[in-house]
Amino acid sequence: MKVPCTTTQAHQPPSLKHRATSFNEPKSVLDLGRSPSPSPAVNKPTPKSEVSAISESLFQSDDGSLHSVDQILNLEDWVWMRELGLHDDSTRIPQFNHSDSQLLPEFPPSHSFVPDDFSLSSDQFPNESFNSVALSNDFHHMNNDDFNFVDVLIRAADCFESNELQLADVILERLNHQLPYPTGKPLQRAAFYFKEALLGLLTGSTRSTHSSDVIQAIKAYKNFANVSPIIMFSNFTANQAILEAVDGSMFVHVVDFDIGFGGQWASFMREVADRAESRRVNSPSLRITAVVPEEYAIESRLIRDNLNQFACELKIGFDIEFVLVRTFELLSLKAIRFIDGEKTAVLLSPAIFQRIGAGFLNDLRQISPHVVVLVDAEGMTEGGTPSFRRSVIDGLEFYSTVMESLEAASVGGSEDWIRRIENFLLRPKIFAAVEAAGRRAPPWREAFAAAGLRAVGLSQFADFQAECLLRKVQVRGFHVAKLQAEMVLCWQQRALVATSAWRC
Amino acid sequence: MYSAIGGGVGIHGDFQRIDGAHLTGDPCLVLTTDPKPRLRWTAELHERFVDAVTQLGGPDKATPKTIMRTMAVKGLTLYHLKSHLQKYRMGKQSCKELPDNSKDASCIAESQDTGSSASSSAKIAQDLNDGYHVTEALRVQMEVQRRLHEQLEVQRRLQLRIEAQGKYLQSILEKAFKVLNDQAAAAATAGLEAAREELSELAIKASNDCDGMVSALKVPSLSEFAVSLENKNPSNLPAQFGDCSVDSCFISNGSLVSPMGVSSQSAAMKKRLRPLFGNGDSLPLEWMITNSG
Repeated sequence: MKVPCTTTQAHQPPSLKHRATSFNEPKSVLDLGRSPSPSPAVNKPTPKSEVSAISESLFQSDDGSLHSVDQILNLEDWVWMRELGLHDDSTRIPQFNHSDSQLLPEFPPSHSFVPDDFSLSSDQFPNESFNSVALSNDFHHMNNDDFNFVDVLIRAADCFESNELQLADVILERLNHQLPYPTGKPLQRAAFYFKEALLGLLTGSTRSTHSSDVIQAIKAYKNFANVSPIIMFSNFTANQAILEAVDGSMFVHVVDFDIGFGGQWASFMREVADRAESRRVNSPSLRITAVVPEEYAIESRLIRDNLNQFACELKIGFDIEFVLVRTFELLSLKAIRFIDGEKTAVLLSPAIFQRIGAGFLNDLRQISPHVVVLVDAEGMTEGGTPSFRRSVIDGLEFYSTVMESLEAASVGGSEDWIRRIENFLLRPKIFAAVEAAGRRAPPWREAFAAAGLRAVGLSQFADFQAECLLRKVQVRGFHVAKLQAEMVLCWQQRALVATSAWRC
Repeated sequence: MYSAIGGGVGIHGDFQRIDGAHLTGDPCLVLTTDPKPRLRWTAELHERFVDAVTQLGGPDKATPKTIMRTMAVKGLTLYHLKSHLQKYRMGKQSCKELPDNSKDASCIAESQDTGSSASSSAKIAQDLNDGYHVTEALRVQMEVQRRLHEQLEVQRRLQLRIEAQGKYLQSILEKAFKVLNDQAAAAATAGLEAAREELSELAIKASNDCDGMVSALKVPSLSEFAVSLENKNPSNLPAQFGDCSVDSCFISNGSLVSPMGVSSQSAAMKKRLRPLFGNGDSLPLEWMITNSG
């Protein structure tokens, strides 16, 4: 899954210069109308020599290449934008740009970038051969120009690492022209979202969700679940592992660290009710404690209402509590209510480790969970602390794989829905990944081992279920692999989701 | 080993005594139609067998090999003859009557047989041998069936799980939509007047534009309309990160209309807008909002 791409420090300025002419080609006619941006590099206070050298070269070519825009302009993009009615300058949708901001805001101190990887001279980054096996097939078909945005993005990531925020801003500004919209091949769209995420880091802006967003997100999630096996694989494999562990118990308590919209528990409850009915016993009761991020009020309310209703229809005793991540961070497992006599299951995802580390795993023994299920749908790296640039590269590769698989799975469907799914479901994850990228992510395997968790295999039922699911989806390219008690859903040999079950 | 030929055995009255050569009479073997075909000792074949045994000096003296040579039936193997001979010998030894004709393996060992039911006892003994094979075959078959059954069970359960999840997502979507609508309705009354003017303007544009469109690309006017409506509603102003055109299209489209798909959105929108022309401009904004619920 790792990309063995590298870059040379010494090569950067000349190569950027070399490509400056082509990579500044305006991807939209909008840039024609606009006057060249007022060279923020000049206005910024005391730029480093490297910064000014690069930015000057960039802005010089800006003026020179305007006349040849017709040749350079990508026809596809032009048609697309024309349809959208964006060819007219006056109706130009406000672009999120930083050319107005003269003063760069102070970089949030919570992110401590360690530039240890940055000055590695052993890194080599050959442009043309950025086509390791693990990367999208698109690479093989892209010409040199198209590689630019990936290079530039990585260069921008480097800047974050070395704390050259002004340079990062400049580079991302340029990248805005290259990637104004999430169009093109999956890699390009993924790069767009990563660019946005990096820009977000610079401005420190936070996203607040509104109910209109939530609706779009739910709809996107529903469509995503219908076309791609990713969600169903994650949910049902986890459910099966939990069901087997808590089978027969009258009181089940699940601690869910990544509840999403709660769809998983609806099918879990259905299963529980069916089993109780077939055994002619009273329905057990299910209790869920969901650890949720802040600003999850709307979703929490919806989930509570809907799961309550679902449970009522199935005649299952049900209760759900929401605990804020912040509270959990402070109090660890004491933030959660446990009742004697319950069988407890814990459902984890890497996001929680990225946010608060893996220390709380050591406390798990005290509550003696019957099973701890880990669902990794974020392409988490195996271990060690990857550098910021490494995280961005890995993330870029992972999400472009996800987008590729999504495209393949919804062939024949409207492109519109793919974009919505990417925008409402993948974009927040990318943002979160970039935000967490700088932090030292704990190697979760070591953390699991240290906490005394040992992996248990997934049952044959789960195997059959996964295969059955893939047959249902009827898309070539997906397959399930089993490695060391993990079940991994792959898209063309690249891992998408890895699920595993653990016991104390 | 088995030759897949059917037909009766033609035993001719006279057969030559040959050594190692086959008769040209070409008698055929009768095989059962089981998955694992086994030889059926028909009366004629058995008669031939008995003749051969008698020729060779009785069941004790005759050996399967010599019987095979003597009978000279194509496709008959030593294996067949061994088992048949054994049964024949057992049948010949006993003088007591066989209590029942059950094929029970344990009974056969002790049961006695009358001379006349030699063929039935032979059949029973043969079934004993075959019984072992049958058990094995049954076991394998049961294993296959078990696996098949489990896979069917998995399929069935998976279907139920998918349905449950789908049903849940549908209901949460509807509830979310309702929540938003209530919010929008509450806040929309604030910006009633200004919105109405814009509404009539854009409604004209919208009804001219939309004709069964499927993609968001063709709803610039609708989205503008929706955006303007959104802008009247302060609590719903999305402080969007990276608010590009594609985003606003998505957001505003979903917030105003039924989430059933863009084409039905346009149709629904069209339906609501038509009375606008019929009644002139006296269409209250609330009517728009509540109707979309």
